Amino acid sequence: MGQYLLRNLLQRLVLLVIVSFLVHALVHLAPGEPAEVDPNNPRFKAEDVAKIRAAFHLDEPLHVQYALWIRDLFNGELKSFKDGQPVLPKIWERFLNSLPLFICATLIIWTLSFPTGIHAAVRRGSTYDRSTTFIAYALISVPGFFLSYLVILWVVNAFGVPVIGMHTFGSEHASVWFRSMDNLWHLVVPSLMLAVAGVAILSRYVRSQMLEVIGQDYVRTARAKGLDADSVIYSHALRNALLPFVTMFGLMLPELISGAVIIEQIFAWPGIGRLSFDAILARDYPVVLTVTLMAAVITLAGTFLSDILYAVVDPRIRLN
Amino acid sequence: MRIKQLLIFTPLLLVGLLVQAYFWVPTYEDQTTGDARRLNKFVEASIGDAKLLNPALHADAASGKIVDKVFDTLLDLDENLQLRGRLAIHWQLTENAYLQVLPGAPLARGVVSDAPALLTTLRAAIGSGAIDLPPDLLSGMRILPARRLTLTVTAVADSEVQEQIVVEVPPRLQFTLRHVDQTFFARLRPVLGDDYAQQADFSTWHRPLGDAFMPSLQAQLPVFEHNPQIEFRLRRDVRFHDGHEFDAGDVKFTYDAIMNARNLSPRTSDFEPVKSIEVLGTHRLRVVYKRLFSPAVMAWAAMGILPEHLLNERKLADEMDERKLGEAARATFGMRESSFNRKPVGTGPFRFVSWQSDEVVHLQRNTDYWDGAPIYHDYFFRIIPDTLTREVEFRTGAADSYNPEPYQVARYRGDDRYRVYSSPSTGYTYIGYNNRHPLFSDSRVRRALGMALNVDEIIKYVLYGEGERTTGPYPQTTNFYPRHVAPLAYDPGGALRLLQDLGWQRNTEGWLEKDGKVFEFNLITNNGNQKRRNILSIAQDAWKRIGIKCNTQVFEWAVFLQDFVNPGEFDAVVLGWQLGIDADLFQLWHSSQSGANQLNFVGYMNPRADRLMEDIRREYDPERQTALAQELHELVAEDQPYTFLYAPRKNEVLDRKIVMAASDGRFEPVRADRRGELYFFFSRWRKLAHAPQF
Repeated sequence: MGQYLLRNLLQRLVLLVIVSFLVHALVHLAPGEPAEVDPNNPRFKAEDVAKIRAAFHLDEPLHVQYALWIRDLFNGELKSFKDGQPVLPKIWERFLNSLPLFICATLIIWTLSFPTGIHAAVRRGSTYDRSTTFIAYALISVPGFFLSYLVILWVVNAFGVPVIGMHTFGSEHASVWFRSMDNLWHLVVPSLMLAVAGVAILSRYVRSQMLEVIGQDYVRTARAKGLDADSVIYSHALRNALLPFVTMFGLMLPELISGAVIIEQIFAWPGIGRLSFDAILARDYPVVLTVTLMAAVITLAGTFLSDILYAVVDPRIRLN
Repeated sequence: MRIKQLLIFTPLLLVGLLVQAYFWVPTYEDQTTGDARRLNKFVEASIGDAKLLNPALHADAASGKIVDKVFDTLLDLDENLQLRGRLAIHWQLTENAYLQVLPGAPLARGVVSDAPALLTTLRAAIGSGAIDLPPDLLSGMRILPARRLTLTVTAVADSEVQEQIVVEVPPRLQFTLRHVDQTFFARLRPVLGDDYAQQADFSTWHRPLGDAFMPSLQAQLPVFEHNPQIEFRLRRDVRFHDGHEFDAGDVKFTYDAIMNARNLSPRTSDFEPVKSIEVLGTHRLRVVYKRLFSPAVMAWAAMGILPEHLLNERKLADEMDERKLGEAARATFGMRESSFNRKPVGTGPFRFVSWQSDEVVHLQRNTDYWDGAPIYHDYFFRIIPDTLTREVEFRTGAADSYNPEPYQVARYRGDDRYRVYSSPSTGYTYIGYNNRHPLFSDSRVRRALGMALNVDEIIKYVLYGEGERTTGPYPQTTNFYPRHVAPLAYDPGGALRLLQDLGWQRNTEGWLEKDGKVFEFNLITNNGNQKRRNILSIAQDAWKRIGIKCNTQVFEWAVFLQDFVNPGEFDAVVLGWQLGIDADLFQLWHSSQSGANQLNFVGYMNPRADRLMEDIRREYDPERQTALAQELHELVAEDQPYTFLYAPRKNEVLDRKIVMAASDGRFEPVRADRRGELYFFFSRWRKLAHAPQF
């Protein structure tokens, strides 16, 4: 077991190094220049641009730039091109802003998907099943940003309340109760939009998993020995259907981050997704590279975690 | 079944908890519920975040908006675009002109013997009226003694090749002028003759030197030299937001900070012509310039003054210690890295409070402001990148103002809860033709292409009417824009006749053809700007009607610049400029600026325009400068290096409850200044609980 973990960890480390090479090369090979050395800004003179390029090490060969990036990243001196501020605290601050959104979206996804999915599986072929199938595929097909706009317009027109940002502007002097309710309200629409695709996909998985399990012999056996329908479904079938979702949990974390890039942009949510989007537009290499590397770390950590959890949950699997 | 109940009630509980929050949130109509102080706050919504809040370093519009409120400049433009004093209460422009005495050089009559003799001759000629000088121009003349200079000269071909040389420079004559006059030396012609400067023979002043070094030497020893200077008297008892008193040292420090190579200031070129800044007293200083360069005066109207006591070497060293920087980081640490740029301290009407990246910048009014404190207590600069989101926030009362897109403006105009302010912006959109391309080298061809486009229709359908036709390089809101120049009339028939006169004939397929070649070219623009894409299609269609084959393509911005615009490898582009109020268009249109990566990328070359641009830079008299600028505008309009399409209107919406306090205590509607700057009177704005009737 220990040996397996160590080998697995090592493999992931090697993979991470390769990813870092690729990411670095890709970001630098993409056309465009950091906004600070934009040759078309009439205020910049060629020699100023040259000085800034030198200060950012943009004239060094790629491998030297890579080495400088890794060095600065590890001794904490990596600074954003945009404002000269250290990259790691900046990313951490934004990550903390995104965290409530991630938590709320995750809660919505995992609490909503199971009842809808199970119900659809139990009433297979019913109007309910068919309409949830239709809605789920509609939600998967409609682009998230488009749906977000429709929902925003509807909420604003129907209720006249702000839905953008982390809280309502200008209400800083209101009482604590008003402010916390306001914060909660602002979390509702973006986390729902972030969760929509997840709910649609996951409830489909739940449905198909349940359908598969319900057809098994042991479920028939449970029915045959006279258990009531709910016990059969929720104790016998659901437990066995749950197994694959351990993997899903690990895989859905990084998906939330990539979804956040769009949702945070639309809802003006100052989180990690928006940080990376802006950094990409401004070609702020240190931020883009570090965020991408972290996304890779989280993805690898997520799959690593599911591997372990799998072994813990399913006694049939032994890691070696 | 517990599991079943859990699975059903958990989501219901979660949804219930989230949705009930709605009942506690303020709405557009009830902005003050929960917080009555909402009326003292002004919230502006912006597309992008600020980058650096330092007037010497920032290069983006968002930072500029904040910096303008936190920092004061020495001068600025008033409501009618005339210079007025801010931190400077008085300023005077004078000039020292220097004439190098060239012993042995021929004059109009006789030769130069020595400096006193030349001075006497000039004095006599001025006295007798042979030299015609305006009566109030000259205030003094004197001889400056001969000098021994050690100069570094560089070779023409290779600036790496340098030599040190000692030069014995003969005396010079100094003329003190009461105002700047670029024609001063031309006025001395009756005495000096027409080619005095060409007689300069330096060979006897120094040891023999290779010819390759002569241009460099001559550039360092000008025969005629203009040194304009400005003397500023500064306002007393002005304090920075931390209580420290502002004085002339801060102005000098600001200049030094801009010129310090380590700071990488984007304003270096504005202040490069400064020769020296002398502090004459705590509140007096003199700025001397190396040469005639009139935009240098306006540079002071855009330059916020930094507090020396917070940014000097000692403070920066303290900050490095505080942040425990490593050796490598210390070596490159400068003002650009300082945390001051995220918590600026100035003398302006608003003091900085906080800045949360990509969310908001918060300012609070400076109650001790020398020009009277603003009425609003708080100013918030909100960052909302998405267009629709800005509208939604504005409509729900979470923002008081923003720049709507043209299609949104139509909605606001019909709604009496909002007010729309509109003025032509100082930028314009154009189709630029590569003037070096054989197809476009004739201005008549470019004119014909322009005549074939129905620009009024473009404005009507692409901009929803939110644009103005423009005729040339200067913005309409300035005096430099001559009103009598008419825009190109839409006349496809005339365009076709013009091209036929030039030898283009329709071939059997209907395309125009000359010498067996079809009139065909590529029109390109950048991705991400829907208006430009629309113009692309409209132009393509309009030209097709008169037999011109135009292929269109859209490229990502970086590729567009790197592969096409910067190297000058394109036929025609759709692009736009955003300009300031500046008569100097040298960088955009002068023939010397048409190389790779330069801004005259269309390669416009006209010797008369070049001369005008050089004269405009050297002219300090506003009226004469305006006349020259109008002449330049007319000339460029005649040459049509671009087809000048339109100046988009700059729109801003405000809550109708926002009004402007008049001096008699009553309220009037908010209005903009002459250039259309809505925020000019911002310190007098306030928000009422109910919309007023005017």
